[in-house]
Amino acid sequence: MRAIKNTIDRLDRPSSYASSKNRRRNRNREDEERRERTPEPEDKLKDATTLYVGNLSFYTTEEQIHELFSKCGEIKRLVMGLDRFQKTPCGFCFVEYYTHQDALDCMKYIGGTKLDERVIRTDLDEGFAEGRQYGRGKSGGQVRDEYRSEFDPGRGGFGRAYADEYGDERDYK
Amino acid sequence: MADMDVRVDDRDDRRDRGRNRGNKRRRDDEDDNHYDHNERNDRRGPQRRRRDEGPPGPPRRRFEEPPLAKLRRLILNIASSTKLPEDEAIDIVEYLRDQYDDEDTRSGFFDILVQLIVEQPFKIPFVAAVAFYGNQVKPEITVEAMKRVGDRLQVALNAGQWREFKLLLRFFACLQGLYEEDGIFALLGQLFDTVVDLQSANENDVVGIELVKIILLTIPYAIVAGGSRFHEKAQELLNSTGIVAGNMLPMEALIHAYDTESDDKVIGYHSVIGLLQQQLTGESQNGWELKCIPRFHVDAVRRKNPEETLPNVPLTHAFPTFTIPSPVNPGPKPLFPEAYFSLLADQDFGTVPRTNDIASSVIRDAIVDTIDQLDFNREMVAKFLVDLDCYWSLDTFTKRGIAFDKFREAIGDKIIYKSEDMVIDAIFSELFKLPTPEHKLVYYHALITQCCKVAPAAIAPSLGRAIRTIYKSLHVMDLELTYRFLDWFTHHLSNFEFRWRWTEWLGDLELSNLHPKKAFIVAALDKEIRLSFAKRIRSTLPEDMHSLIPERLDEDNSPDFKYDNQQTPFAPEGQALLHQLRKRAPPEDIQQTIDRIHEQATELGIADVLIPSTDAFVTAICRLGAKSLSHVLSCIERGKDRLLNIAQTSEPARRQIVASVVEYWKDQPGVAVRIIDILLNYTILAPMTVVQWVFGEHMGAGEALAESWTYEMVSNTVSKVTNRNRQIASARLQKGLPVEQVEMVEATLTKDRDNARELLKYIEDAVRGVAEGAVDRLIEKESSGELSAEDGQLIKAWGKRWYTVFVRKAAIEESVVGEQAVEARIKLLAAEPDAPAGAMQEDANGVAEQATNGDTEML
Repeated sequence: MRAIKNTIDRLDRPSSYASSKNRRRNRNREDEERRERTPEPEDKLKDATTLYVGNLSFYTTEEQIHELFSKCGEIKRLVMGLDRFQKTPCGFCFVEYYTHQDALDCMKYIGGTKLDERVIRTDLDEGFAEGRQYGRGKSGGQVRDEYRSEFDPGRGGFGRAYADEYGDERDYK
Repeated sequence: MADMDVRVDDRDDRRDRGRNRGNKRRRDDEDDNHYDHNERNDRRGPQRRRRDEGPPGPPRRRFEEPPLAKLRRLILNIASSTKLPEDEAIDIVEYLRDQYDDEDTRSGFFDILVQLIVEQPFKIPFVAAVAFYGNQVKPEITVEAMKRVGDRLQVALNAGQWREFKLLLRFFACLQGLYEEDGIFALLGQLFDTVVDLQSANENDVVGIELVKIILLTIPYAIVAGGSRFHEKAQELLNSTGIVAGNMLPMEALIHAYDTESDDKVIGYHSVIGLLQQQLTGESQNGWELKCIPRFHVDAVRRKNPEETLPNVPLTHAFPTFTIPSPVNPGPKPLFPEAYFSLLADQDFGTVPRTNDIASSVIRDAIVDTIDQLDFNREMVAKFLVDLDCYWSLDTFTKRGIAFDKFREAIGDKIIYKSEDMVIDAIFSELFKLPTPEHKLVYYHALITQCCKVAPAAIAPSLGRAIRTIYKSLHVMDLELTYRFLDWFTHHLSNFEFRWRWTEWLGDLELSNLHPKKAFIVAALDKEIRLSFAKRIRSTLPEDMHSLIPERLDEDNSPDFKYDNQQTPFAPEGQALLHQLRKRAPPEDIQQTIDRIHEQATELGIADVLIPSTDAFVTAICRLGAKSLSHVLSCIERGKDRLLNIAQTSEPARRQIVASVVEYWKDQPGVAVRIIDILLNYTILAPMTVVQWVFGEHMGAGEALAESWTYEMVSNTVSKVTNRNRQIASARLQKGLPVEQVEMVEATLTKDRDNARELLKYIEDAVRGVAEGAVDRLIEKESSGELSAEDGQLIKAWGKRWYTVFVRKAAIEESVVGEQAVEARIKLLAAEPDAPAGAMQEDANGVAEQATNGDTEML
């Protein structure tokens, strides 16, 4: 069957981050060959059952996440994102469902709605691997929390890099 | 004057659409980046910033919009601007005529046209108008459109994709004026013959009912397009559909949203086809006014281009021939009879069409299809819904967002509707559809939220009226629906800072906890807390309600461990177990502690010593795992062998596992429900264990039936069982399954089907006992005066409501995975050609959607 474009955009598509991650990998592999933009049979997101969930408050609990995300299907596994050093929640998680359809439905129905009074972001993910639960920012949390100039009480106040600077200034004065 | 207002108001709304076009123009031919592209990036702050940081180069070169992109833009936006839709249709036709020699453009255009019919039902009359005027400007356009839509229609018919079939058929109905002879009525007649065959072969047939619905919903469009020379044809058809439409299937008795015997119900039961039949009969007696469906002037082309020469008499066309497959493919999803539900129609508001008004069915059908076909982008759906008035005749609705109290004086004695009320009414009809709506319930939650975001001032008051209407009659609503309402209400509030005017319900706090309204309030707070936390929810409540939230929940501590209290029997052993579990002591050490409990219990004369030891063990697991679900999961993992052993040794001890979990988490039953779910997955608990505990130890005199978490636990348990059976059944329905696998699957299905029957029977019997007041504890408590007569009545009413739900569930499962149902499916499967049977998948989405899902990278 010929694929026909939808008349409106779909919300269950992976973000540019997730799909470019895939594309990059494929590009490296096929470097020599003429790149004809063939469909990618190994597209890991094609059957993805895992979602990356971002913009959570540091204080949002597993129970809250379960309560919301199980509205899209039974949850197989929930991995909380942790600060690399303090091992405390740092505002993201991975939710794994049993089926791809549940994951797509979650993109459509839960992504962009609120949990714990914050608009959360969902993205299809190729699957959790050990180590990915930790923040990759310099100070242990997520990178986005290093340089945030707005105050966000749900995510530890100001960006950490700034927080340090302000701290220094205060010391001098 | 009112019309003028509508226009002015719309212009504002529509300007927004114009602005977005600039963005679309650039990308249309390469990607599906539409309006919401920007919105999505807004959610993803960082990406957007990066894009804007590029060097401020020269302004982008304006390019000529490629023809296909332009055609796409024009047709997708038809009826959505301040232009007259008929002018837009003619513009499209004329532009298409000029590009007609380019095959890619032509072919691409018709692809879009077909897809638009299937995805955006509101626009079908306007899309048909393109083919209608095409007939005057370049008849090849009409011929090709009919061919392409016809091809897709035949595919839908073969696959039993009834919704798509209905929508594509509507396109043909809207061209009724162009056909020779009877046009679409010949096909409708054939469809009805099929209905007769289906119904005489099987008295419980539902496919025939679906076909009658499609026939009846097609007639109004055909009459509007075909004019008075078809009135007689329509009347003939109505005379024959009458019998089927008036018939009542046994299943229909189970899908009533309200207790039909009660005067407090919001709406009585109407089958969708029964209602349509009535409404159309009414129309036929009143000259088929059908005001809401948009009309197109034959002379529009001539008026627009007076100097142009057109063929004097437009061509007529033979209606295409379609083959109705035999046997009819019932389609990928189980079909059920449908009820017409409206919260507002039978209230004296007058803001939505009354149930005898054909507009109620026609507009509702289009709204519901829009919602269900486009579930992949709720943001756009909300926008289409808010723009509802664009897609119907000019005088159908009042000005957008008109206040409820101004509505009456604004419309005078005309019959005009409030679009927001119709939208909200339609979404609730989906949310409250029995047995199940098209998509997951959370979709409808998200859609309501989105509508509130798009047009808060217009939607919120309508929503408030809907909520109050539901609340007022909670006591006579189907229990499953009150649970859906609870789940939606609390989820909705969690998206809007938990703002609700609780003060208006304060009077109900004095009611008994067994009263459905009070039970709802208590349950709503629990659900809110689950999505947030106790202190926060308390801060959103009036003082008088604070006592409903236990104070100890404010501190973020784990619930108390009862063995810390020395008065608790087996306190030292309980503490020891906790300590040992924490230290990951070897099983022998734990066994020693357990043995000590057993010894003491024997001395105390306890018959089943496993009960107190299980209580201590499970409570210790709960305490150790109190920090989070992952903690409790790993604790269960640690105690798994012992728990499985208990499960196999003693049924009462197995039920004690449930009891201990629920007792530990008594203030946060949501956590208990989750843990029970985990224990079911580990088969530490069997579904029957949970159910027996609920209707045995837990039920008391029936008070527990008023607890929403109890309902949640039972219905989760039942769903787990029924979902599995459906999976097995669909595994059986794979084409070309090897014989040995067939046997294996069938054996499993037989066994599990019987288990499910036993489970549902158990529930049915238990709650029927309560409904009839035949439960010992209830009789005792009533006669001793421990329960007031009033409370006794309330409990019996709960019993009755539970009973209705589980009798329905049992009947639904029979109709999907029962022997008869599966055998019928197997027969159909055998009759099918050997092509890959993609349509047999039980997935939530059809074939077409799967195809479109995969094309992300095929740019």
